[in-house]
Amino acid sequence: MATEYQHRFRSGGRGMLCLGASVFLLLGSIGQLHATPRSEADLATRLAQFALASGQPEKALARIGRVESETSSWVKAQALVATGQTAAAHELLKRQLNGRNHRGDAALLLARIAQREGDSLRAREHFEAAARLGFGETRQRALYQLAAMELAAGKPDRAGQRLAEMDSGYWAALGYMNLAASYSEIDRNAARPLVALRVALAMAEKDAKGDRSVALRNRLLVRAGFLSYQQEEYEKAIGFLEKVPLDSYHTPRALYLHGLALAARDNHRAAMQSWHRAKKFPLAHPGVEDAWLGMGRGYDLAGYLGQAGEAYLAANASYESERVTLRKLAARIREEGAWKALIVDAREADTQWFLADNRTLTQPRMAYLLRFMESAEAQQAVAQVADLVALETGLAERERNLRVFRGSLADRLSTPVGPAMASGKELGEKSAQLRARLEALENQGADPAQLALTARTLGDIEDALATLESRVGQRNARLRQLKSRLDGMLGGMESLRRRAGELRQQAEAALDERVLAYVEAQDKRMVYALDKSEQQIAHLYEYLALESLQRGSQ
Amino acid sequence: MFAPQQVTDSGRRACSPAWKGVALLLVALMMWVPALASANDLESEINRLKADVADLASELYALEEAILHPADTQVAVFLTLATKDALQLDSVELFIDETPVSSHLYTDLERQSLQQGGVQQIFLGNLPLGDHHLKAVLTARTDNDRYVRREASHRFRKEPGESRIQMTLDARAPDFEPRVAFREWK
Repeated sequence: MATEYQHRFRSGGRGMLCLGASVFLLLGSIGQLHATPRSEADLATRLAQFALASGQPEKALARIGRVESETSSWVKAQALVATGQTAAAHELLKRQLNGRNHRGDAALLLARIAQREGDSLRAREHFEAAARLGFGETRQRALYQLAAMELAAGKPDRAGQRLAEMDSGYWAALGYMNLAASYSEIDRNAARPLVALRVALAMAEKDAKGDRSVALRNRLLVRAGFLSYQQEEYEKAIGFLEKVPLDSYHTPRALYLHGLALAARDNHRAAMQSWHRAKKFPLAHPGVEDAWLGMGRGYDLAGYLGQAGEAYLAANASYESERVTLRKLAARIREEGAWKALIVDAREADTQWFLADNRTLTQPRMAYLLRFMESAEAQQAVAQVADLVALETGLAERERNLRVFRGSLADRLSTPVGPAMASGKELGEKSAQLRARLEALENQGADPAQLALTARTLGDIEDALATLESRVGQRNARLRQLKSRLDGMLGGMESLRRRAGELRQQAEAALDERVLAYVEAQDKRMVYALDKSEQQIAHLYEYLALESLQRGSQ
Repeated sequence: MFAPQQVTDSGRRACSPAWKGVALLLVALMMWVPALASANDLESEINRLKADVADLASELYALEEAILHPADTQVAVFLTLATKDALQLDSVELFIDETPVSSHLYTDLERQSLQQGGVQQIFLGNLPLGDHHLKAVLTARTDNDRYVRREASHRFRKEPGESRIQMTLDARAPDFEPRVAFREWK
């Protein structure tokens, strides 16, 4: 299997590189890759490409350096965006837009930058360009964004036209889901939203990426189930909801709605079975608090009033206990910060492996975290802190490494070269002896091919020893130069780490504020649920009292 | 006597809610604008910091290579794919002279990058002059849906100066048997 042959880089100008790029594209299109880089610049670009995919944009930028080609410029632009240098990336992306490759991708990236900067007009222009110039996922994403913009402008019909241009798959399914939501806001009748959801379900089937398509399908099924229930089409609702698997993030809501649809068909026993299952999930999930109430109502309607009272009391107790959990969570957030209390601690896997799969669905704190993270603003706030924590940790680690290098350079500078030179002389004598032995063997008629490798290695050693003195002479100057570069870098590193620390504190404070507001809103939700359960208990007792009065008067 | 006063009063009453509304709006705007500005400030400050860190990281990267891997003893091993879709790489382990020196588990994005011509520097280290033995162990899923584990080895000679070895993975129809080719760059 092992093959060994030499390969030299062909030196070539820009024209050569362009020709090479065309050949590369042609080969790529028929499934063959140009495995060997054609030049140092090509190697640097392809190494940067991999570094970027590995989530190391800084390394990608270092690899690219001053390499100039269309592909390298595209990789550099992506790395610049990933490291927050959008102004520098902007120029490169605009140039890319007028180039030959990645035009659609560049337009999409420009659109996203404009969107982030709040310039919706420019964002629309770039999305249009991405839809026109891009292929595959790039084009689909651009069309999805354009449809979303039409929906945001209150033009669902134009959004529908945009969606009609899309290919079946994940992005089209998402688009139709949004269209259904938009129709639900306008129409009293759920016919149009349901049609849109059915299209979305069909589109999601075509998505090749398993996990995201399953998650989206479950979301669509719950929505379709809810809309059908609202339209009093209970059979249809049950049909949709029964397709949601029991280990999905959307299961609690689906179970609650399933129970509602069954109860509407007077099948209280089956409804209570669904709600009983929904009760197993944390109260953070929507529908769970209503499932607790539903149990009481189910007993009530089935005529078991005593059990109905017990169920309402149990619901009451669970809401009270959830309020205690929320108060404790808020106290921990105030004490340790939201980043530590909610996010870092959620990563700690102290669960047994056989329970690990259900962690996200059964742990209250994790459930609150996931619910909180559903909003885009929350994701941005958490991403800011995460970025800064990663920067700070990375800088601290690099600083530690630099201090070790600095120590080692200082040691090497203080090591006298005399003994090394003396051992160099000894090595020289040894190599001379070995050379003599080698020549003697050759003279004795040994096969030169057998000795060729040894002779070459010995030659390399002799060359290295011959230049030892001059290299040792340059050693101290080089070490001093490296040490002064290190000192400068250490200073820069310290100041950057301080800045990162200050910014992290600001970002954490903003996150704390947001999470505490969220926890407070959840507490209010529990208070509301508590009010409802207390009202139900009051009604039940009132009814029982009236009944016993009536029985007494008879 | 009271009539004009009443008119004035009623005029005041008519104006005051509007003024109050404007004043409230102004106050709200004054409160909202700094909040928005500070959120944007934080974002742009984070971006500035990221840019500075990226600059320093590239400088450091060059310095580390200069300190840690002097050109004379440096050996680098690069990994590339020869065919686009034939092999879904799962992991690669490298051994030099029977000592494990590097291992990598691939993400979807990394696999995609390799399939688009990306090159991975899977090992960078120092070796003494002379003969060495490089062994690669790879696990992958082939296009005909087989999960495979293969070993490949290569003998090479470390000479003075940088040594760069390219490792190319390939799997072709009909059997999709993974093949590893080694090539030394000079």
